[in-house]
Amino acid sequence: MRIEVAADGYQPPRRGLMLLQGLVIFLFLLFVLRFWYLQVLHGDFYSRVAHDTRTRSERVYATRGIILDTKGRLLAENRPAYYLTLIGEDCPDIPASLAQISQWADIPLEQVQMKYQQGRRGGKSFEPLVLAADLPFERIVQIEPQLFLWPGLKVETRQRRYYPQGELFAHVLGYVAEANDEELRQDDSLRLGDIVGKQGLEYVREKSLRGVKGSSGLEVDALGRPLAKHQDKPPLAGTNLTLTLDIDLQKAVSDALGEESGAVVVMEPETGKLRALVTHPSYDNNIFTARLTAKDWAALMEHPLHPLQNRAVQSVYPPGSVWKLVMAALLLEHGIDPKSSVLCTGQVHLGTHAFRCHKRGGHGMVNMRNSLIASCDVYYYEMAQKVGIDAIERFAKACGFGKKTDIDLPHERSGLVPGKEWKQARFHEPWQRGETLNVAIGQGFTLVTPVQMAVFVSALLNEGKLLKPSLLEEEPPEVKGELPLTAEHRAFILEAMRTTASEGTARRISRPDAEMGGKTGTAQTVRLGERRLRKEEMELLHRDHAWLTSWGRKDGKTYVVVVMAEHGGGGSATAGPITAKVYNALFGPAAPSAGPGRNSPPPAGARP
Amino acid sequence: MNGGMDKRLLVHANWMLLIFTALLFTTGIVNLYSASGERLEEGIRVAPFFQKQLLWGALGLCGLILCTLFDYRHLKPLALPFFALTLLLLALVPLIGVRVYGAQRWLSLGFFNLQPSELAKLSTLLMTAAVLSRYNDPLDWTRLCLVLLISFLPCALIFIQPDLGTAILLLLLTGGIIIYHGVRLSVLKISLAALPVLPPLGWFFLLKEYQKKRILTFLDPSLDPMGAGYHITNSKIAIGSGEIWGKGFQEGSHHLLRFLPEKHTDFALAVFSEEWGLIGSVMLLLFFCNFLLCIINTAKEAKDRFGSILCAGIFFYFFWQILINIGMVVGVMPVVGIPLPFISYGGTATIVNFILLGLVLNVSMRRFMFKTN
Repeated sequence: MRIEVAADGYQPPRRGLMLLQGLVIFLFLLFVLRFWYLQVLHGDFYSRVAHDTRTRSERVYATRGIILDTKGRLLAENRPAYYLTLIGEDCPDIPASLAQISQWADIPLEQVQMKYQQGRRGGKSFEPLVLAADLPFERIVQIEPQLFLWPGLKVETRQRRYYPQGELFAHVLGYVAEANDEELRQDDSLRLGDIVGKQGLEYVREKSLRGVKGSSGLEVDALGRPLAKHQDKPPLAGTNLTLTLDIDLQKAVSDALGEESGAVVVMEPETGKLRALVTHPSYDNNIFTARLTAKDWAALMEHPLHPLQNRAVQSVYPPGSVWKLVMAALLLEHGIDPKSSVLCTGQVHLGTHAFRCHKRGGHGMVNMRNSLIASCDVYYYEMAQKVGIDAIERFAKACGFGKKTDIDLPHERSGLVPGKEWKQARFHEPWQRGETLNVAIGQGFTLVTPVQMAVFVSALLNEGKLLKPSLLEEEPPEVKGELPLTAEHRAFILEAMRTTASEGTARRISRPDAEMGGKTGTAQTVRLGERRLRKEEMELLHRDHAWLTSWGRKDGKTYVVVVMAEHGGGGSATAGPITAKVYNALFGPAAPSAGPGRNSPPPAGARP
Repeated sequence: MNGGMDKRLLVHANWMLLIFTALLFTTGIVNLYSASGERLEEGIRVAPFFQKQLLWGALGLCGLILCTLFDYRHLKPLALPFFALTLLLLALVPLIGVRVYGAQRWLSLGFFNLQPSELAKLSTLLMTAAVLSRYNDPLDWTRLCLVLLISFLPCALIFIQPDLGTAILLLLLTGGIIIYHGVRLSVLKISLAALPVLPPLGWFFLLKEYQKKRILTFLDPSLDPMGAGYHITNSKIAIGSGEIWGKGFQEGSHHLLRFLPEKHTDFALAVFSEEWGLIGSVMLLLFFCNFLLCIINTAKEAKDRFGSILCAGIFFYFFWQILINIGMVVGVMPVVGIPLPFISYGGTATIVNFILLGLVLNVSMRRFMFKTN
């Protein structure tokens, strides 16, 4: 069947159709232009966006190593904490999101905005900014179901450091906080908002505690909604630390120091291990890991006694009469006969200046042993002039003074052993003879830390090894130097200390069940008048520092205890009872003392 | 003229059109292979789109051949019954249709989900061409209204499904055909003057909220970054990241990771551009451009009004779809659900496309069958 019709003379509108063809070509040229615009002109940009949206590497935090005491009890642990983060690139409406965060986290909007601005400045793209830290779990439960409405907002669970013992170990452990700009610059592996150790062992042992971050490739869509995780690189947990310190002992020592500001060092002389390291006043290091408020910070900074200061290693004090141990050792090594005596009349004149003994009437004839027991200043004034400042400086430095002990704590001070060169460099003045006399009794320019003193006394007990004070249980003893003192001379000094503890200025620490030795010190902080004022008569900051360096041996256990009570007044009156309490904690409560008298060796096996 | 296929039929066929169709369809299959190499639907592995698309293509080719076997002028009397049938099917959709993505557009035939709106394009086209071929003069008011009424009927039914894209396409299609046929100058002037009034009317009385939102979102994608703006943004990212040389076959990272919505249907072009870059995109544009020009050539050479109008209608049918889809994918037009012929996946659409091309070939083949006076 075919329809054969005559053409009806119809002519298609050819011109119109050619016009249409022209229009088609023109439109397709526009499309080509558009593709060129997208793929060539902005190709780079879109490539980058496409890549960014495809996989986004997320960091997986390593668990920070925990810190334990010597008995395995927790000193620093990690607890989960919830953070609300924002990724600006994913966020369609940043002002609204900030307002939402402010509402959720109950933080003033201005504060959230400020934090966002702050984070934006240094932040990389697709970097999650922590805008609300440490939200309570109940709040997170409320927020979570609504989060999908807010692209770019996320709840992150991170670990927060927690120190169960708080103030008790604050100075040893230090604390962690968000890395600052300086730290971020120096360490490529750190990102904004990462936690680093800022003080104490957290700072010194940062590298091993931190571990190695892992990563997890997160596949996300262009709005940042996660689609799938892949390519996990597991994080490497940080190393745990076991300390030499003991919570119970630390607590007892802290109680012993009581309200005094100062430091107590308890050290095992054979190994250099510290069993207690207390400094007062202290602070709660947990406030740094949570939201540190400006008020808390101001309170710490404006506290007149500077609680952040670790007085055992970061503060230096004139050693006072404790220094006489060093001087006596020097005299022995210098060949001075310990039996030769000096007449103490209560003062020594040098030029126009009178150098006084602390005992106004004088001690009479004093030999070396008595000079230690009674702490006679005049003996050392006289002897110092014989040996001279150069010998004192050399010997004191050989005993470990004037340099750091290399304890694992930051910002350790090295103290000061003055000398002629130092005086010239520091004051551009020559050394004065009178200054030698001041140095001889631990005054003047001489400055030591309590830890240095503990290391020195330990060396007297351990065949002369100057050990690094150790905080880590696994660390083997590290010998930093040799005490330039023969065994015979060490025994002489120890014997003098023993007598001081039984009959002399340190007799408050004597106890019948243990072998004790000690030396007190009362270090002047200001030059005062004719007479030493009583403690109560002085302004706190003018009061003397009270020192007591001691050792005790019971049942084969030996400990060195150095007590330094800042502006505590007399070494004997203030530091004595504190030291006695420390030994009570170490050896158990002392049996009622039979009064001052020579200690007899305790009966074997007796343990009160 | 004797029975059977005349040799001249084959000689006069628009072979160039067939070649460009083949190129486009092949490109579409290759691209679908990449866009949906394997597909999981609710955890079950189903036949990849490219395999099904090949099947539709084969069916379409049969339809194309069938459509060349008879003289197209026989269609003229068939246009009305076919149109009526389509209207019936469209009316059935709201009653027994299958609901997908909140829109009721499909009739289930068991093995195949028929989309009556696709049929409506074909039948409306035929109906309009059949009616217009009776008028030798430019349209006056009554005739214009009659022709417009023909397209309004299916349009309204499609619009309530809702399928805004197809409804608009039908209107544009009819509009193109009417202009091609010619309208009295006075009528044209007044109509054109009235045209600006229509969009606000439509805005306030016809468009649903989500449809209004789409248009607003097109004007400002940041209004709705999760919804329609999301499509536009991701489409642009996929295309732009292809740069000059493309990422290579099956290397397009953006769509593989499921960023691209509707990647095998409305946004298939974005997948292609991402993988083949500017080079591939321009090549594809060249195919489309030539494809359209070939259809116009047949319209130019048709020997009767019905044939010419039919070809012009088919031209507009493809032209509008290509224009709107590419415009949408490259982010210069709002997101409306209109597929790209031969590149987007779609069963009914593919078959209809081939059938329409069969009609164009039919017209081109039979342009010699007129007695020369």
